[in-house]
Amino acid sequence: MNEGPHARAERLIAEASVEGISAGEQEWLRRHLAECAACATNAGSTEEAIRSLRGLSVPLPRALASQTQMRVRLRAQQLQSYEPRWRMVWAACLVSWAFGAASAPYVWHGLEWLGHRMNLPNLVWQMGFGLWWALPAVVTAVILLITQSGPVREEEL
Amino acid sequence: MTAALLFSTLMPDETKALAKGLRRRDPELLDRLIEQYQYRLFRYLVYITGNPERAQDFFQETWIRVLERGHQYDGKSKFEPWLFSIARHLVIDWQRSKKKQSLDALTNPDDGAPMEFAADGPSPLHLVLSHESDATVHASLKQLPPAYREVLLLRFQEEMGLAEIASVLSAPISTVKSRLYRALKDLRGLLSGETT
Repeated sequence: MNEGPHARAERLIAEASVEGISAGEQEWLRRHLAECAACATNAGSTEEAIRSLRGLSVPLPRALASQTQMRVRLRAQQLQSYEPRWRMVWAACLVSWAFGAASAPYVWHGLEWLGHRMNLPNLVWQMGFGLWWALPAVVTAVILLITQSGPVREEEL
Repeated sequence: MTAALLFSTLMPDETKALAKGLRRRDPELLDRLIEQYQYRLFRYLVYITGNPERAQDFFQETWIRVLERGHQYDGKSKFEPWLFSIARHLVIDWQRSKKKQSLDALTNPDDGAPMEFAADGPSPLHLVLSHESDATVHASLKQLPPAYREVLLLRFQEEMGLAEIASVLSAPISTVKSRLYRALKDLRGLLSGETT
């Protein structure tokens, strides 16, 4: 693709400010701008736009940092108070999983025996086994829901 | 002010210590970070929301999120892009909850109009920026889509590299570049009185 000198200059002016250009390209651009008034104006207005941007400032609300620090500290205290509860939940999950894994063969045989005795289809007592495994997860989910609903109520007050 | 802000950018060793502190939810560290980044974060939020009051709310929410998700910062990359991307996601979530269409304002500038400006009178962004002298720049920025204002701020005020901007935006570098070129071209046109 052939690129005319002005199009190349325009591209290099933009690239120079956004991602940088090589020394060779800088030298070519410098020479072109010295000869071409239109491209020099273009380069000047780009430079001016960037300079204007860099010169802008936003007034900072005076108490913003201190208010934020206070909110963050309160939230940190709140989170800290939940930590023991979380540890308990995790410990309970671990114990539940260990007991579940250890007793799974017995529960399977027990449910199988019960299923046959009550003339239930295999699918029914096998689903019962699945539910038995899901029980700790259900209990944990309930605990988590209760735990998470706590802060909302506190914030509403 | 810009030079002083640049020097406040954290060094690699500091980012690792910072990651450890954030994992511990160290209150002293968080206080220091809030002080250190207050201006830059607030300015960024003003640019992308266009509303200083809303920017204050997002500012506080961002630091709460930093506290809660501090363990997700690995300390291998710079802190600033991580911080800004948290702030950005909060704004996007808010836009999403507000209305679907306005989500495009930050994600796809070509599809959406600027999200926040009232039809009449000066915009909140214009009001907050009008404390400074160059009203033309303010008026021009006001006309740019938030996504363009955002990349201009990150590149020319935050002095972030393209990769860092890409990580804030969760977008490819090619997208960042094209937005920057387009934003710069539009701004230049607006400043010289052309229409975009």
